[in-house]
Amino acid sequence: MPEPLLASIGWSAKPEAARAGKEAAEAAMARLGSAKPSCALVFASSWFDQAALVYGARSVLGQVPLAGGSTAGEITPEGPSTHSCVVLVLSSPSIACSLGMAQGVDTAPREAGQQAAYAALQGCKVIPRAGFLLFGDGLLTNYLDVARGIQEVLGTGSLIVGGMTGDDLRYQRTYQYANDQVVSRAVAGILFAGHVKIGAGIEHGFAPISKPRRITKARAHVLYELDRQPAASVYEEYFGPDEVRRMRDEGLARQAVAYPLGIQLGGADQWLLRNVVSLGIDGSLTCSGELLEDTWLQLMIGSRELAIEAAAKAAAHAIRTLNQVSCVIVFDSVSRRRLLGPRAALTELAAIREAVGPATPLAGCYTYGEQAPMGLSAGVPQTVTQTGSVLVVALGT
Amino acid sequence: MGYIVLAIGVLTTCVLALSMDWLSFWPALLTILGCLIYLALRSQGPHRSWDELKRLQDAYDQLDRQAKLVIRTDLELHRAQEELDRRLASLLSLHHFSQQVQVSLRPDEVFRKVDASVVTNFGMLNGLAGLCRSLDAVEWQSLVGISPPVAEQIKQHLMQTGLLKEILTNPAPRVLHAGDASHPAVPRLLELLSVHSVVVAGIMPHTGPAGCLLLGRGGSSISAKADEDLVAILVNQLGTAVENSSLYEEAWAAKRELERKVQERTKELADANAQLLRLNKAKSDFVSAVSHELRTPLAAIKGYASLLGSGQFGPLADAQKERIQKIEKHTDLLTQFITNLLDIAKIEAGRTTMEIRPIPVGEFFATVEELVHPQLQAKQIRYAVELDGVQELIGDAQHLRRVFMNLLSNAIKYTPEGGTIRVAVRRQGELVEATVTDTGHGIGPDDLPKLFQEFYRANDPVNREIRGTGLGLALVKRIVEAHHGHIVVASEKGKGSTFTVTLPAA
Repeated sequence: MPEPLLASIGWSAKPEAARAGKEAAEAAMARLGSAKPSCALVFASSWFDQAALVYGARSVLGQVPLAGGSTAGEITPEGPSTHSCVVLVLSSPSIACSLGMAQGVDTAPREAGQQAAYAALQGCKVIPRAGFLLFGDGLLTNYLDVARGIQEVLGTGSLIVGGMTGDDLRYQRTYQYANDQVVSRAVAGILFAGHVKIGAGIEHGFAPISKPRRITKARAHVLYELDRQPAASVYEEYFGPDEVRRMRDEGLARQAVAYPLGIQLGGADQWLLRNVVSLGIDGSLTCSGELLEDTWLQLMIGSRELAIEAAAKAAAHAIRTLNQVSCVIVFDSVSRRRLLGPRAALTELAAIREAVGPATPLAGCYTYGEQAPMGLSAGVPQTVTQTGSVLVVALGT
Repeated sequence: MGYIVLAIGVLTTCVLALSMDWLSFWPALLTILGCLIYLALRSQGPHRSWDELKRLQDAYDQLDRQAKLVIRTDLELHRAQEELDRRLASLLSLHHFSQQVQVSLRPDEVFRKVDASVVTNFGMLNGLAGLCRSLDAVEWQSLVGISPPVAEQIKQHLMQTGLLKEILTNPAPRVLHAGDASHPAVPRLLELLSVHSVVVAGIMPHTGPAGCLLLGRGGSSISAKADEDLVAILVNQLGTAVENSSLYEEAWAAKRELERKVQERTKELADANAQLLRLNKAKSDFVSAVSHELRTPLAAIKGYASLLGSGQFGPLADAQKERIQKIEKHTDLLTQFITNLLDIAKIEAGRTTMEIRPIPVGEFFATVEELVHPQLQAKQIRYAVELDGVQELIGDAQHLRRVFMNLLSNAIKYTPEGGTIRVAVRRQGELVEATVTDTGHGIGPDDLPKLFQEFYRANDPVNREIRGTGLGLALVKRIVEAHHGHIVVASEKGKGSTFTVTLPAA
């Protein structure tokens, strides 16, 4: 009889990084009791000294496979948080957890994905493999190839989901954790196998508002022209010159995260969202993910009600295939947090909690992107980077 | 468009007709013309569709223009909503903060309440709060989003550049931007904080240590004035809380000091008391030893004086008899004095055993009266005993007799001839109260508290004429207390005195 999967969460808001990591890990381990940890996931504020934080957590967790990353805000069982560290520990003798990490995503993304998946496979001979939970650099936009690389190694039967690490909306540098290493421009993740199931649900709740524009010039994640006009001038049409000037002055498009760009794929309701991260002096828009020329793009608008509904829907979808839910990991887009504000962000988590059950351990973070198969509910297998979405990952049996 | 095609077709047909044989080509020309007319008519269809498309395009553009308006309005609303949320969160945070700091008992604890929730709810990215014992020193108590090494760098930067002093001398909250020329230290400070602007404020309470607060701001779109206003409230609360905690700390320290002093004094008193007890015991032992040593020779003196006075050794002259009688009288007084001293010493040392048993009150006071009767008669003093139905007393009859003998002897001594002495006994619940009231000279108020002290005699002209050892009332008090009772005196100069002895009834 396979053992059930246990999960426990600890968190800390101590200002000293090592102490915060240690305290969060200690709290998680204390809640776990005498059970032996199988792996740990760490979500921490980018304000911490990252190496010291991971060192603090590892000093308690020992040699347990550890993956995680810096965030744009943490999610504790009590609600949204900032400047804190959250540690989720999973335990079951019936599962196998193996860490895979590869750097150089910015130069060779596909190879990095393959390398990370190979590394994870090396440490995991158990089958069946449930899926790969990854953490990618939120400032890079080529994770479609990373996901392809992973999938080439693991096969299409393994679910690939995860989040893109953040840096509290500073857009300077994000970090990925892999055991005792703290890296950037990397992919780190844990391969789950054995008596474990992973369910995922991703929704956004945004709706198109502008007329469709054709991407006439784009390279990777930089959008140059829409309908043969400079992309920024089209953007200015909608937001007005003052707002665009403000975005340029700040160097960040903070306000724009509430209005992502939507690329229609497949069916009428299949929207791939992209945040505008910054505005270039050449009139280009730097986005949070890849863009393809000759696809149609629309400006999206959201509402708090729709966003909360979407979260509940994603949570319900995540637990749909699980008999018993052990824990829930939420990767919530930072743009949604911006849209929701502090009170509605709490309501959003309450909606998720209501869907998954109040006793289910829940942790996660606010991300710069969410990695999940596009059209998850429609069964389209390809994992892509999405933004403006809430990804609920349920682990259980 | 269709008409142009038709015109071109007609012209072409005419040219062909003129250049060719009319009859042979007429049917063909008619056919061509028909086709052209048909084509011309057909071309009206696309023209109509084009118009519709145009209209649709216009409507679409119109909708897009409306979308732009919606987005801009939504953006404004979103910004207003964000600001409202932030204000609300800030106010809630202030409310929560004020509750938290109210229970803070130390200034450093007050500063530590500036935590991540306060910083985040104020819409700030990071923050530091510290205690300033002087204008150029700060000790960070709270760090949010700042690592200790960076906090140390900020501290050094603030101190070395004089920015700290400026914040403390001009404590009102203000936003410092990267382009701020108010102080050259600002750009480096912002760099260390990793923010574009920072709110700085000094905390200057009336009592207690000063402090400073630095909050790294988020986007520049947020009103600096609004931030300054909110931080001003926060700083006021911090200042008040520091004042309160300082006052509490002072009060607490004073209380601790007082407690320490009370403990010290109590110990000193206890030590002194123990020393006194030791000395008292030594004194009692000494008195007891000396008294014993004195009694034997006194007994011999008394014996030999009696023998001499009896004339066994030959007849005595009157003068000799008189002297021997004086020797006997003074020997009796000295013996009485020594007996009293010994009794006091015995009672104090707990060596006296009280034989407690019921005493018939009537019989008891009759015996006492018999003993003092000659003295009463000698001074013609009226004597009355009122028993008020009290039948029994509980105590050692012999010792209690000495009590009332002493009280009555004193009363007789100090009551002028023809005066009155009254003994009244009455039941007071579980107690029996016996009073001896005289109409004597009375006792002055200064003497009353010391009356029961050993060897104390009232400083009174009357007292100088009346002999006494100053031990009688001291012995009375000790005997009464050995019965678990107590004795008090009430007196007024010239009106007499009342001694009240209270004893347990059972």
